[in-house]
Amino acid sequence: MRVEEAVLPGVGRKFTITVQSGDRLVIVVHHSGKRELQYFEAGEDGDEPIMALDLTDEEARELGAILAGVLFHPEAVGDTQSKLGQKVIEWIKVLPGSKLAGKRLAELTLPPGAHLLAVDRPGAPLIPNPSPEVVLEVGDTLVVAGSREAVEALMRTL
Amino acid sequence: MHPSVEAFALAAGLLAFGAALVHRFGFPPLPVYLLTGLLMGKALPVQDLEPLPSLGLLLLLFSVGLEFGPDRLRGLSGKAVQAGIYDALALPLGFLLGLFFGLDLRGAALLAGAIYVSSSAVIVKLIIDLRRAANPESEVVLGVSVLEDLVILVLLALLGGQGFQGFVLSLLLAGLYLSLGRFLGPSLVTFMENLSDELVLLLGASFTTGTALLFQAAGASVGLGAFLAGSLAASLGLRERFERLFGPVRDLGVALFFLVVGASARDLFQGLTPAVVALALLGLLLKLPLNYLGGARAGLSRKRRLYSAFYLVPRGEFNLVLGALAQAQGYPLVAQVAVLLVLVSIPLGAVLTRFAPELGRILLRETQSRPARIP
Repeated sequence: MRVEEAVLPGVGRKFTITVQSGDRLVIVVHHSGKRELQYFEAGEDGDEPIMALDLTDEEARELGAILAGVLFHPEAVGDTQSKLGQKVIEWIKVLPGSKLAGKRLAELTLPPGAHLLAVDRPGAPLIPNPSPEVVLEVGDTLVVAGSREAVEALMRTL
Repeated sequence: MHPSVEAFALAAGLLAFGAALVHRFGFPPLPVYLLTGLLMGKALPVQDLEPLPSLGLLLLLFSVGLEFGPDRLRGLSGKAVQAGIYDALALPLGFLLGLFFGLDLRGAALLAGAIYVSSSAVIVKLIIDLRRAANPESEVVLGVSVLEDLVILVLLALLGGQGFQGFVLSLLLAGLYLSLGRFLGPSLVTFMENLSDELVLLLGASFTTGTALLFQAAGASVGLGAFLAGSLAASLGLRERFERLFGPVRDLGVALFFLVVGASARDLFQGLTPAVVALALLGLLLKLPLNYLGGARAGLSRKRRLYSAFYLVPRGEFNLVLGALAQAQGYPLVAQVAVLLVLVSIPLGAVLTRFAPELGRILLRETQSRPARIP
């Protein structure tokens, strides 16, 4: 993939992305936050776009997050999986009545190959590399990573 | 109530009506503001609108300075510079044209500037409104605009002062502003980031108008002052913030400003001579082939070259600055040409830009269908 960047004074910034197949994507990020997307197919003389799309700032960010493999809707927690090659990342929410609530992390037994990366507590800063002393509360989200089997085994035990 | 409120309500209503009318057809609103002024100028108490139109021009030049300041030179691609060199040939040609029409050196230089400089503000607006930002020619056209504005900056600093003293002061002030931005800018960026939006807005407004007044007091060009204030603000890392904070205020002021330009053009048309019309037409025609060739140097396809020549037709803010300067320095002919160029080139440029694809198809049809027949 090749990315070329150009400043458009008064308008914003233009990114020309050429992917492996030779197709091109031109993205203009306007000062107003608007994004303009144009798609050019490889092999064509490349003068007129096949597709053009306008996105608002919010839409563009959402699309970017989806493209980056990060789904961030809290409702979707539980089946949110992000692939890192053969490894996966899983977000596990502590629901009311869960046996995790009130437990210290030290009491938690993780299957080999699964690792606890962070605890996300609503209204508080993210707790990265949480210490064993952290006590889980209802509403917390555990961020777990590891091999697919280990993470799925962990999910089954909860 | 103050009579300005009445005038403002009337003007804003007319402008909104005009803009709504053309919006349906996907046409940019700028030329409509001029035409509204031209048609309704008699009925409108234009004088009562002040100081909004004057502020509009200052803010327009400020934001042009913000976006097209000297620091943009670094980001310019080689192709844009190549196109800009061809484009700059309009200066000597315009100068010769001025001499041919019996102007002295100073007058001819002012005329050359008026013929040479396209309006970056109008072009940017057309490109955004007509959704051409992603096209390859837009990059070249905007790059050429950066160069044009810098050349005009030098021209204004050289010609802007009245008398020798004004000339020296003008150059000194311009140099001071540019070096302030260059050397003081980087260290002040974080300080500026901590200021609140409101403070930045107020500081910006007083800085722009204050600079314009300072330049006027020194006998230099007010427009040059506003432009330099903008480029100084850009070097303080305030570009995006000012763009966001000032954008709406500027757009309103600019709309009113163009309305007033249109309204005051009625007097201009009464004193129109063949020489003025001939010079304006020649000026418009002069740049088209230059920009077409420039587009070729920048590696654009035939169609895109044509587009880029069309995009660069509109003359605007700097023509009005040069026109006011020419009037003050006793070159009414140049002033008339400069203003007539604005009046003609903005609607014409908007039409050409809007219908560039259609025009390109008509103008380049022969050459395009030929290779298709070979197989």
